[in-house]
Formats: sequence, C-alpha cells, structure tokens
Amino acid sequence: MTAVTAGLLAQGMLALIAAVLAFSVPPRVRSVVGGTLCALTAGAGVITGALVLVGGHGNVTLVLALPVDPLILASSRLGGLFMVVISAVGVLVSVYGIRYAHGAAASRTSWAALAAFLLGMQLVPAAGNSLTFLLMWETMAAASTVLLLADHAHRHQVSSAAIWYSAMSQLSFLLLLAGFGVLGAAGVTTFSASGASVSTTPAAGLAFVLLIIGFGSKAGLVPVHVWLPRAHPQAPSHISAAMSAAMVSVGAYGALLVCTRLLPGGPPWWGVLLMVFGGVSAVYGILQASVTSNIKVLLAHSTTENMGLVFLAVGASVLLRSYHATAAADAALLAALLLLISHALFKATLFLGAGAIQHATGEIDLDRLGGLLRRMPWTAATFGVAALAAAALPVTSGFVAEWTLLQALIHGSRLGGTPVAVVVSVAMPLAVAVVALTAGLALLTFVKSYGIAFLARPRTAQPAATEVPIGMRIPMVLGALAVLAVGVLPGPVAEMAASVLPATRAPFLHTIGLGGISIPSIGVVLDPAALVVLAAAIAVPVAMIVRILSRRHPTRMTALPWGGGGSRARPRMQYTATSYAEPLVRVFDDVLKPSRDVQVTHAGESRYLVERVQVEQRMADVVETRLYRPVLNAAQRFGVLARHAQNGRIQQYLAYSFVALLVVLVVVAV
Amino acid sequence: MLTSIFPQAIGLCAGVLLLTSTLMVWRHSLLASIGLLAAQGIGLAALVALIGVHSGDAQLLVVSVLVLALKGVVLPWILARQSRASTRTVEESPHQNPIVALLTVAGLTILSYVVLGRILSHVGAVTAHAAPIGLAMVLTGFLLLVTRRRARSQLVGFLLLDNGIATVAFLTSGGVPLFLELGISLDVLLVVVILYVFTGRMHAKFGGTDVDTLRELHD
Repeated sequence: MTAVTAGLLAQGMLALIAAVLAFSVPPRVRSVVGGTLCALTAGAGVITGALVLVGGHGNVTLVLALPVDPLILASSRLGGLFMVVISAVGVLVSVYGIRYAHGAAASRTSWAALAAFLLGMQLVPAAGNSLTFLLMWETMAAASTVLLLADHAHRHQVSSAAIWYSAMSQLSFLLLLAGFGVLGAAGVTTFSASGASVSTTPAAGLAFVLLIIGFGSKAGLVPVHVWLPRAHPQAPSHISAAMSAAMVSVGAYGALLVCTRLLPGGPPWWGVLLMVFGGVSAVYGILQASVTSNIKVLLAHSTTENMGLVFLAVGASVLLRSYHATAAADAALLAALLLLISHALFKATLFLGAGAIQHATGEIDLDRLGGLLRRMPWTAATFGVAALAAAALPVTSGFVAEWTLLQALIHGSRLGGTPVAVVVSVAMPLAVAVVALTAGLALLTFVKSYGIAFLARPRTAQPAATEVPIGMRIPMVLGALAVLAVGVLPGPVAEMAASVLPATRAPFLHTIGLGGISIPSIGVVLDPAALVVLAAAIAVPVAMIVRILSRRHPTRMTALPWGGGGSRARPRMQYTATSYAEPLVRVFDDVLKPSRDVQVTHAGESRYLVERVQVEQRMADVVETRLYRPVLNAAQRFGVLARHAQNGRIQQYLAYSFVALLVVLVVVAV
Repeated sequence: MLTSIFPQAIGLCAGVLLLTSTLMVWRHSLLASIGLLAAQGIGLAALVALIGVHSGDAQLLVVSVLVLALKGVVLPWILARQSRASTRTVEESPHQNPIVALLTVAGLTILSYVVLGRILSHVGAVTAHAAPIGLAMVLTGFLLLVTRRRARSQLVGFLLLDNGIATVAFLTSGGVPLFLELGISLDVLLVVVILYVFTGRMHAKFGGTDVDTLRELHD
C-alpha cells in the first residue's frame, strides 16, 4: 500500500468517524469534535494531494456486487492539485465552523453532512472512472443541499433556495450522466485512457457540450448560475465559503478533466464555445456583483465572474492548441489553474469575513453597515487583502493569475510574429477586452464592498460590533496570508501548477529571482517580490521624509471657515452601496433592467416641503426573467394540462390501457 | 364423422362467442348481459369439449366441465343474485350510444383478424383460424370496461375479457394444463367475489355504483 492509497483511505475513514461522532457526542462538545474531525479529513486530503503532486502514486479499487464498473480512486497530478486546493479550503472552513456554527448549523445532521460534503469534494478529483466520479459528485451535491437547508425552519427563503439549488444540481447531474454515457459509447470508459482519437467525432462533440454545461452549472456559469446568488446568502457562512471556494472548483476541475484528459485535442469550436460561455459569465457575473448591496450575493456573483474567467482561459487553451500554438495554450491553462487556486483562497477568506461581519452585527446588507475598520481590525485586514485579490491588484494572488491570463491571451494570437488563424485573431483581443472590463468592474465592486462596510462611518445606532473570537480569526488570517504568499512569491505555486499540465516540453516555466515566474516560450517575466522591494525602496524614504517634515509643524488644526455642510456630515449623508453603484446602473441600464419605486411623503399641505422620500430599487436577473420564467411557466401549464389526464375517473385510466393495447396491436399489424 | 364436422362445430362455437359478446355491448339491461354471459360460458365449455374430443384429450373434457360450472353457472349466478337483490332491472346508460358501440366492436373484430391473421398465418390448424374471435372478445371486454358506468356492468366486461383470454388459449395452444386452468379459474372467482363485496359496500355507502362519482382520489 503506498502513502497515497493510505491517504485516500484515511480521508474516507476520517469522514466516517466524523459523521458517527457528530451523531453521538453531546451538543456541548459537538462543534469542537465535529469541526476537528472535519479539519482532519480535509488535512488528510491536503497531504494526499501534496504526495501526488510530488510524484506519489496509488489507487483504490472497490469491486461492487452490482453488475457495474468497480469504484476506482486513482491518483493523477491534476486531481492532486485540486485535492490540495479543495482540502485546504476544507481545513479553513472546518476550523472556522467550530466557533461560528450555532443553532441549526451546529446540529448533528449539519456536522455529519459537512464531513460527507468535504469527502465528496475531495474525492471527485481522485475518481478514476465515470461511476466513481458521479457517485462522489452526487455525495457532494446531496450533502451540500442538506447543509444549505440547515436553517430552513426559521427562514422561508432557505427552502426556496434549496429547491432551486437541488433542481439545478439534478439538472447538472443528468447532463453529466448523459455526457459520460455518450463518452462511454464513443469509447472513452476510464479516465486513464485518453480519447484523443475520438475527439473530432460528432459523438465526442455532443459529449463535450453536455459535460461542459453540466460542469458549468456547478461552477455557476451563466445561464445556469441561478442557484448561486440564492444559495450562498442562505447557507451558513462557512458552508457558503466551502461551496463558493471549493465546490465551484470541482466544476472547473470537470471542465479541465474533459479538455485535457478525456478529450484532448478538440476542434476549434470547442474553444470558442468555452470562451463565449466563460466571457459572458465573467461580464454578467461582475456586473450583477457590482450593483448588489447584499455582501454575500455580491460574493456569489463574483464567483460566477471568476469561474467565467477560468472557463475563458480553458477555452483559449483549447482554441490555441487546436491551431498548434502550444506555448500560449499551456500558458492559458496555467492561468486557469492559477485563477482557480487564487479564487479558492480569496473567496474562502471573503466568505469567512462576511461570516464574521454577520456574526458580529447580524447584518449582511452593505447599505446598513459601516465603520467596521476600528471595531474589527482583524476582519478588516483579512477581508481587505482578499478584496485586493478579488480586484486583481498587485501583491495578491489575483493579480498573478490575471496577469498570466492576459499574457497568454495577448501572446496567443501571434505565433512567432505571424497570426495563427482568423478566429484566433478575433477571439483573443475580444477576450482581452472582456478580462479588462471584468477587472475594472471587479475593482469597483470590491472598492464598494470594502469601503462601504469598513471605511465608512457606522450607519445604524445598533450596539457596537466587536471582533470575532480567535478561533474564527485564525482561518481568515491563514487565508489572507496564503493570498499574499501566492501574490508575492508566485514561483513555487506556478511551478506546481505547471507540473500538472500535460507534459509537452520540459522547461515550460522557470522560477526566477525571489520566487518570480518566467515563461520563456512566450517571453514574459513577473517578479512581484522584486517589485515590492523596489516599491519599498521608494516609499519608505518618502514616508520617512513626510514624517520628519510633519514633526516640524507639531499641531496644525484645520477649521473650515465655511464648511458648506461638510463640517457637519452625518452618517446618513455618506455614500451607500446602492448610491455608489448608481452610475453603473445607469450605464448598464439595458442589461440590468432595474425597476425603481420612489415614494414621496409631503409635509402637511405643502407641495415643496418633503417629509420623507423612500426609494426602492430592484434588480431583476435578466437571464432568469427571460429564460427561466418562460420555461417554468410552460412547465406549470403542462402540469395543469396533465391534471386533466389524471382526473381520477376509473374509465379514463382503463381507456389509457385500452388505447395503448390498440396502438400495440396496430403497430404489430402494420 | 366428427372430423368432418369439426371445423363447422368450431366455427359455430366461435360464432356463439362473438355473437354473445356483441349482444352484451348492445344490450343495456344488466340481467340480459348476465344471461348472455351464461350463454357464452356454455359456448366456451362446448368449444373446450369439442377440442378435447377431437384431440382425444381426457383432461380437456374435465376442464370443459369446470368451465361450464364456473363460467356458465356460478359466476352468472353470483352476479344475477346481486342484481336481483338490489333492483329488478338495472338499466345501464353507457358513455357510447349503441350504434357507435356496435361499429366499434366491428372495427375491433377486424383489427383482431388483421393482427392474428399475420401472426398465425403459418399455422394451418382449424382452431387457429378461429383464434381472432378470442382477441375480439378481449378487446370487446375492454371496451365494456371503458364505456360502462356501473361497477357491475364493468364486472361483466371483465368476465368477457377473461373469457376472451381463455378462448385464445384454447384455440391456439389446444388447451392449457388442468392445474393452470384450475388456478386461473380460482383467481377469476376470487376477483369476482371481491368485486361483489366491493360493489355491495359501494352501494351501501353511496347509494349507487356509478363509478363516475368516484373522483375523490385524483390529487
């Protein structure tokens, strides 16, 4: 038995023990025991994945009594990387959950479901055939539904969110089932066998489309994203973090599995399809995020955006590879992996931060938050770092990832100075534009979320929020440190990610300087640590000079002679999240379709004195109103019609059998 | 001598079966239907006896006696007893008018000839040529089940359907083993007794046996 095999088995055992103990220990210690064991399960996943990444092998084959394929867990480098990322998020959320979970989220069912959820997510990347994959996938989907439903007794929105979520989960599962079925019929039965020879057949094309939509639904891509903004705000925050940082990565893993292992070398249209799917999601997701004021909904939409970018990168890689621009294709794939790693880290931190805010204030509406910087310095610092990463600003992981993506896209359209193909020449600049637009809107979004919640003055007269306990701070700090580490020293992580790419040429990526990266095949270099040192070399002296100069004029007091209202600014005069995003809503009016309701209450008889103005703005999800509503209405109409057929008359039921019998006879006779 | 009149005799019996079935669709009176059912039972028994005599199979003669007892006497008696107990003359008002019903029966008979004609075209036996009558009875029985409103009329339809199945079995395979026939007969008897009790309860509970009024369970 190799170490990897032992690691795979240990994950299963630990998850089982966690589930059993969650049901047996008394409520007093349940969260501690459950959280610790869940963290151990995830820790085993981190170790197993790391072992695979450094070259370990191992597999587990479980022969079933049923006449189906055996269950196979087999190590692969790509799977190892995902196992590490997902399990790392698992460790953070489990530790966080120990102190955070309370009420229904700390019930026996919830802790047992969390163990199952983590196990399912961690073993999906280890699946060696479609049966195992689907089983683990369904474990993940079912357990996450249970977790989402934790608080259904108190809030009716939870049930509605859970219905949407499970419907979309099942849709995704059915698409995957169909996709793997078609794939199996085309001759790709196990994941170890490459289907490169069948990639150009129509069957492979059908399987590709089915699988990508199925995986895209789990990754929260438009138009199958509708569960995401519903489920995340309703789930407990650590569960939202696990779903948004880890589970969507499993969806992206599926897409990478299809594009690099199951059906490598697909035709160009696959790449274009992926790029469109991803690009639309990226723009639409960040646009929705930028105009919402609920912090968790904002983060959920931002997940859609990031997964869109991942799919865009994967699509670019498929497109470039089909035109033999291998170097750029590899860079795009590397960008996809870096985006995923970065997203998992910062999104986990952000959701944990949102959980901390909710824990401290009981509020997740940005319009009612403010002034948390002083009250919750740890949360403010970690949330800030993660928000920088989400906005793809330097010294964070987000910047490294988007930089790599942009480099791949810019260098992709030309191979050695000559254009590759028309479709590439058109697609790559468009993709660059999409990434640029997304980055700009992301900056605006996270400036809004950080500025309004932490920097603004408190808006409500509620009792002051206090910093969360240390047990919740540690995971947030770890997450933020990881974001910074990848951002400043991307070399080791990038090298690890590059090692899982399908081996084409040996030295694809070099680590240079203080953990910087260099991709010689497309001739680009990034060394954030050097930039940091350089920036410090400039900034520190300037800061010191300013400091020294300010000492010379000890106390200078500024009093505005005429403040114009500015000297008596009240919290209500500040920007709110809604008002900050208002110009954006105007610009994207056609896409966002906001509906506004303004109610003016006049003071007494006067037309000119206003006592109160109430403004209400609702954003409808265009995809939902234009795509889902008609389908749901049609289904409802069909249901009403079907009730005519099912009306309780015995003769009618007999008549159905009779007609069926006659039809059979007529078919036999003809 | 028997060999020479065997085809005609089979044809005669099959004719009786078809005629009684058709009349059951035409007549609305329940008592009349039950009388026709008894006649059909006797016809079926005669058919079984004929096949038995022709093939020299003693077991089939026993089966024929069984069929006569059950389908010619016991089942019609049970039904008639119940009918007399409730009302003297129960008039059925079916969903189809008689002319349409008769045309439908004609259509169904043609369909069964077409279908079984294809399947049994390679079988040269005389009995096989009459087999479509059995299928026509099955379909007619089904039609009665679908179009009749009252539970007891539907019971008649069910028994007609069962007779049809038995007819097809006897005509195509030269009869079924005694034990199998015994089992089937017991089943039918059981079903009829259960439905008999059931309709009795229905009558007591709702004051009628019109199944149209039973629509509570549709949600």
